[in-house]
Amino acid sequence: MPLLLGVFETPNKVVEVIGRLRNRGYEDLDVFSPAPFPAVEDALIDKPSRVRLWTLIGGLAGVTTGFAMTIWMSLDWPIVVGGKELASIPPYVVIGFELTILFGGLLTLVGLAVHAGLPHGKFGKNDVGYSARFSAEDFGLTVRCKERDVVEVDALLRAFNAKEVSLVEP
Amino acid sequence: MTPPPAASVADMIRPVPLVADSQVNRDILAVMDRPTMPYWLLLGFLVVFVHAAGAVWVYQVYKGLGIAGYAHPIFWGVYIVTFVFWVGIAHAGTLISAILYLFRSKWRNAINRSAEAMTVFAVLTAAQFLGIHVGRIWKSYFILPYPNQRGLWVNFKSPLVWDTFAISTYGTISALFLFVGLIPDFAIARDRSTGWRKVLYTALALGWEGKSKQWKAWNRTVLHLSGLCTPLVLSVHSVVSWDFAMSIVPTWHATIFAPYFVAGAIFSGFAMVLTMMIPVRRIFGLEAYITEYHFDNMGKFILLTSLIVGYSYVMEFFIAWYSGNEFEQTAWWYRVFGPYWISTWTMLICNTMIPQLLWFKRVRTHVPTLFAVSIFVNIGMWFERYVIIVIGLSHEYDPAVWGIYTPRPAELMILAGSFAFFAMFFVIFIKLFPVIAVSEMKELAIHRKSHAHEGAH
Amino acid sequence: MPELDRRDFLKLVGVGAGAAAAAGCSDPVEKLIPYVVQPDIITPGIPVYYASTCRECPAGCGLHVKTREGRPIKLEGNPEHPVNKGSLCARGQAGLGRTYHPDRFPGPMLRGSDGKLAPISWKDATELVATKLRGGAGGAYLLGSDPGPTASGVLDKWVAAVGAGGRIVYEPFAPEALVEAAQLVFGNASEPVFDLSKADLVVSFANDFLETWVSPVEHARQLAEARDISAHPEGGARFVYFGPRLSMTASSSDEWIPARPGSEGILAMALARVVLENGGGSASERALLAGVLDGFDAERAAARTGVDAKTIERVGKALAKAKAPIALPPAGGFASNRARAATAAVLVLNQLTGAVGKTLALLPLPSDGKRASYKELLALVDSMKSGKVSVLLVHGADPAYSMPQTTDFADALTKVPFVVSFASSTDETSALAHLILPEHTPLESWGDAQPRAGVRSVLQPAVRPLQDTQALIDALLDIGRAVSPEVAAKLPTGSFRTLLEAAWSDADFRQVLQRGGVFAEKSGPASASLSPGVAKLGVADPVLEGEGDYVLLALPSPLLYDGRGANLPWLQEIPDPVTKIVWQSWLEVSHETAQKLGLVAGDVVVIETGGQRRAEVPVVPRGGIRNDVVALAVGQGHTQGLYASRELERGVNDPQGKRLYPLPENAGRQVARGVNVISLLAAATDEAGGRAWLTTKAKLTKAGRSERVAFTGANDNMRERMLGEAITLSDLVAGKSVVDPEMLGLAASVKERLQDAARRGEEMTPPAGVPAEALTRNGELIAFNPADDAKPGSPYRWGMSIDLDRCTGCSACVAACYLENNVPIVGEEQSIRGRIMSWLRLERYVTDGDIDYVGGRPPHSTLERLGHVGVRHLPMLCQHCGSAPCEPVCPVFATYHNPEGLNGMVYNRCIGTRYCSNNCPYKVRRFNYFDYSLETWPEPMKLMLNPDVTVRCQGVMEKCTYCAQRVEFARQPAKNEKRLIRDGEVTPACAQSCPTQAITFGNLKDADSQVAKKASDPKRGYHALHVLNTRPATTYLAKVVRGPVEV
Repeated sequence: MPLLLGVFETPNKVVEVIGRLRNRGYEDLDVFSPAPFPAVEDALIDKPSRVRLWTLIGGLAGVTTGFAMTIWMSLDWPIVVGGKELASIPPYVVIGFELTILFGGLLTLVGLAVHAGLPHGKFGKNDVGYSARFSAEDFGLTVRCKERDVVEVDALLRAFNAKEVSLVEP
Repeated sequence: MTPPPAASVADMIRPVPLVADSQVNRDILAVMDRPTMPYWLLLGFLVVFVHAAGAVWVYQVYKGLGIAGYAHPIFWGVYIVTFVFWVGIAHAGTLISAILYLFRSKWRNAINRSAEAMTVFAVLTAAQFLGIHVGRIWKSYFILPYPNQRGLWVNFKSPLVWDTFAISTYGTISALFLFVGLIPDFAIARDRSTGWRKVLYTALALGWEGKSKQWKAWNRTVLHLSGLCTPLVLSVHSVVSWDFAMSIVPTWHATIFAPYFVAGAIFSGFAMVLTMMIPVRRIFGLEAYITEYHFDNMGKFILLTSLIVGYSYVMEFFIAWYSGNEFEQTAWWYRVFGPYWISTWTMLICNTMIPQLLWFKRVRTHVPTLFAVSIFVNIGMWFERYVIIVIGLSHEYDPAVWGIYTPRPAELMILAGSFAFFAMFFVIFIKLFPVIAVSEMKELAIHRKSHAHEGAH
Repeated sequence: MPELDRRDFLKLVGVGAGAAAAAGCSDPVEKLIPYVVQPDIITPGIPVYYASTCRECPAGCGLHVKTREGRPIKLEGNPEHPVNKGSLCARGQAGLGRTYHPDRFPGPMLRGSDGKLAPISWKDATELVATKLRGGAGGAYLLGSDPGPTASGVLDKWVAAVGAGGRIVYEPFAPEALVEAAQLVFGNASEPVFDLSKADLVVSFANDFLETWVSPVEHARQLAEARDISAHPEGGARFVYFGPRLSMTASSSDEWIPARPGSEGILAMALARVVLENGGGSASERALLAGVLDGFDAERAAARTGVDAKTIERVGKALAKAKAPIALPPAGGFASNRARAATAAVLVLNQLTGAVGKTLALLPLPSDGKRASYKELLALVDSMKSGKVSVLLVHGADPAYSMPQTTDFADALTKVPFVVSFASSTDETSALAHLILPEHTPLESWGDAQPRAGVRSVLQPAVRPLQDTQALIDALLDIGRAVSPEVAAKLPTGSFRTLLEAAWSDADFRQVLQRGGVFAEKSGPASASLSPGVAKLGVADPVLEGEGDYVLLALPSPLLYDGRGANLPWLQEIPDPVTKIVWQSWLEVSHETAQKLGLVAGDVVVIETGGQRRAEVPVVPRGGIRNDVVALAVGQGHTQGLYASRELERGVNDPQGKRLYPLPENAGRQVARGVNVISLLAAATDEAGGRAWLTTKAKLTKAGRSERVAFTGANDNMRERMLGEAITLSDLVAGKSVVDPEMLGLAASVKERLQDAARRGEEMTPPAGVPAEALTRNGELIAFNPADDAKPGSPYRWGMSIDLDRCTGCSACVAACYLENNVPIVGEEQSIRGRIMSWLRLERYVTDGDIDYVGGRPPHSTLERLGHVGVRHLPMLCQHCGSAPCEPVCPVFATYHNPEGLNGMVYNRCIGTRYCSNNCPYKVRRFNYFDYSLETWPEPMKLMLNPDVTVRCQGVMEKCTYCAQRVEFARQPAKNEKRLIRDGEVTPACAQSCPTQAITFGNLKDADSQVAKKASDPKRGYHALHVLNTRPATTYLAKVVRGPVEV
């Protein structure tokens, strides 16, 4: 199936055209955007990102590890210092806290990798339609459609004053 | 100085054909232009200096800590002072990127990248001193809870173990935060570079194309990391302060220490951001991006934290007097009028009096003055730690063993080396990575542009 | 010297008990192999003790030499010996180092024409001396210290046989005046022996009997007995000290009366007069003294002595009233050219107060043995100058150092064609000798000593000689025999050992060797009468040379004594008990003097005492010295010796090329370490020709430069911090406690902790120093019991109690700790930086009770004031706290609380964060700044290390362990016998050496143990820095302030 690429200058146009395309039943859309624009992203993907789950899991794992490790290690070879309890919780809160952050952070990164699909593509190869202009200030909207719809989509993109429209994949 | 013409960057960052590249890209990436001779000289000097200091340290390991100024009962000196100093410096970065991010204060965009980088390098520098100051560095791995034949773990009740965890966590998370923020900018650099840089950035960009699902995940990640960093940044210096507050040393054993240290850390951190960014802005012509507006805001922050720190000083003195505790009173008396009075007064003047200038907008926006103030604050904050640590240990409970500590050449050399170490990384950084978050700047630029379009309609 | 390794040593064993057959010498072997044939008296790991006698000073204390695998590693007192009863002073402890000293001569040495020493065989050396003697032995003289009765007898025989000119015994601080005065006062030759233990009033006339006078260890013990607060609830003996300076001895007194130096005789006379007026003495004595005593009425005496008349009256009355008073004559540095008269006056005072027979025994002079005589020595010096001396044989003395410059002894020595020195290690005299025939060190020698009539003490070797040395007597006998057959015939046959055994034939020699001697204490006559001689006593002010404004006191140093201790690094590094200065010379001046001359501590002054005699020395201003007096300790100023001089720091003349700290900045510095005050003194003698030390006035001028003084005590102002506490006798009698319940109440944490304890149902017994009502004030528990701080199951909680009322500050414990625990020596430069390593330090605080506050805070400056005592000597060591602040802060568990309550320190685990020391309020932890194990013990000193104690490596912390190795040593036998370690079975080195037994160690869980009893003293017991709630296992018993004597 052919792939059309429309180049836009402002995010709000992209949002609008996405809306229209969807009404017309075009679902296979994607956007190259030079900077984060929640409006654009939400227009394409309506569910909130799953990354937050990873953070939660990491955090919980961290706090558990923190306390389990400190308490177990204190009891594994009991050594009395300063007449204090062997497993005294207050000092261990610090360890528990630090590990919460550490694990939480690391798993968040994993989450990013998974949900953003990073690393993406083959080394040094970009997706069809991507070009350096999209890391400048242009927005690229790719639409995959049947041959017979190409004309309509093209017109539609131009209607939302796309700078240019090209058929990047016949 | 105006941004250099595109021609001069042709060999490295090539303007993309067909379409005009964005002004933002060109300006910021211009900083990564091929290094000039002065740059190489500076970098060379730093590298050599770091190695000189390293040699001194090797000699110390061989001969023993006796070549430092330690004398019973003052067993912590310049090394720990400098450790705390650098940890403090490390705070501004995360604060700017995380906390200000949560507060959605966009003005941070211009400075957060360099601030984050500073954080990472400062933590790196600070970590060195944990090793430098111990008596038997070749056994320092004992401090990690690893399984061993002795079946012996570490003492999690010791603030030094907390330190180990806090510092390593902080280092990891802030490095991670820096990297995540850099990914889109790597993509930009990738699209505009050739040769080995192309390979490097392609690898680092992880195939970033600014697709919606990438941005969506990225946004969420940055949000969560900010959420994690905010308590972390507050905790790290609290933990460092507990190294002292948990002990029974008069003038150390105080509940005010955690907030007091955190405020001090932000104070010194912001000062260091200014000290580093003002020259960079000047040399690489980023006036368009780092504006008076930013300096004004940072000035306000420094003023605020200076007041908090000042308040802590006053409160400590007051409590020492009010408690009627002989140990505290005497220790404080020595702090101000004793043999170390110079350090104490340097601290008071640099940290509480000089920053008062920042009440005036003219000072906050007058860059050279601001630079001078930031230098004073850096000095003052180093001396604050010196005063707390050294004087505290000098006059403890048993008058028969009160002591005096004087730093020895070895310590001062390694102290100087730590600045070179830090600067070295930063200097390498500005030539390799965008010193300003390009995509975030662009976000603003495009917003402005599209609003202009609306207006046109 | 030949490399000596462990195996050689294992072979060098058993010399003592005649197992010498097992010994043999071979090339060093570097393998560690077990015995092939194990000597029957050696069990590896089990120490063997040899009874012997200490030769560090003439007191003659009994020794137990502790040897391990054939090496002496520690000296301890012989409990059976009547002189020291098991204790040993710092000098005695350090004496161990002589045997292993790097300065020892490897063997006989002959000085060549180039002035350098070259080895020579014993045979040739002997022949050489013999030839010198063949040509007119009349010019040959023996000069040396008293080698003990038997040796002394042999020497006399030798002199006679060879036909030598004579033999002179030289002892710099010999109490010659005492015997002369006794002769004068009581009319018969006798040796006055003072026993303080039965006294109820001790009056010292500038007599530092706790430091250097006749028998310091014995006197310290006696004083402690006489003042033991448990035996004498009313306070026991009062102690008045007349003297210009607050010396270590004076700091133990109840009343320090700063009298003018040299006025002691006058004081004694004035007091005698008061005593007579108050019914002392017999009618005849009154008659006899009537003429002598007028002119000595209180008023006139006051004018001459600087002591006001009322005080004289008061003390005199107290003397008259006292049942068993004792007056001690001026001695040491206070012997003036009127020493005999002054001493006689004091003896008269003793007679009038009825001390004779009670506290003062007039013992017959030892029959055998020759007494030191300064008169003869001066005569010898003259004949040396006039070239009448052809051969001079010097042994056991260092006259070239210790003779006043004005006697030109050094020049006189150069006039002697042939000088032989028997010194075993280099000193000033041997440096001028032509031939050196090194003798054994005392630990390698046979011999005997006679501290006083009836007490005979033996020396036996504890190790085979490390170097190619010979016993003095054997060397001389060989020489004599070599002179000619006639001479040989006249000489006794056999070796010195056989002669010694013969001399002891009246006793079972084996038993003697086991017990250390024969101790048949003699008691003098129950009473004595004054001889008519006292009528012409001739008490007067001493004549002082020099035109300065200050009297120069040259005082024997409590540690270096007359300088013979200076080459022993421990004695150099143990702080002076008064000023806490190490490794240096300093001039003590009063604050007023310092102000007048515009001097602060460390400023150098030029001392001039007339003639060419001048020296430059830094001053140390203090409140405890009269304004018209300056004091400079004898002992420093050596130009020879690795530690005695500065050679070590200059990095030269170190036999093994091993150095503590080679310091280039010292390259240009003079070789002498400090100043030899003797070189400043005029050569004066007393009426009977005895040596006078108080002879000179000094002129001080500012030198305009200053030196860093090696202070090791920062501040002697205690600032009411509950460190060295004291309680007045009246409070004690009234049943008050030294611990102020309010003070305890301040420690809120204590309350909480103990409420928790109560909630957990642990019972709280009244701890040390806490009055019962303080236990539950407002129904709250506010105190603890150290015995609780061990593992519940454990039968032991080791603890210690230190009685500050018995501590005199003598520092014996410090020396013992150094030698028992292989504590490194760091040297002068490092000491100045505050890097002394001692595990046990003596803190000296000065207070007169109520501190006058300045701005709500005690003044920083010292509180030492003229005429105020208020000194607290505080032995500070690891307190082994129940809740030790050092433990929780260590990240790696290098320090922790062991089940028996000890605060353990694991060197192997320590990574050197030094947090533990920062958090230790007592600051008893030390850090290894360098690798001292390599630098402190040059060969062969390594051989004297205690094998039971690890030598610590660079970068780790170390501290007092309560001598854990000794606890472990006692544990095994207890285990074998299926019993607990008994009380008294474990004694740490410090407690073992303490002359006054101020330190008690034991199990706090055993309620009957000595330490438990002492530690639970409800009135005097307290814990240092109690408010910190560290729950220390060390309990201090407060010093008792008895106050001035009243009538």
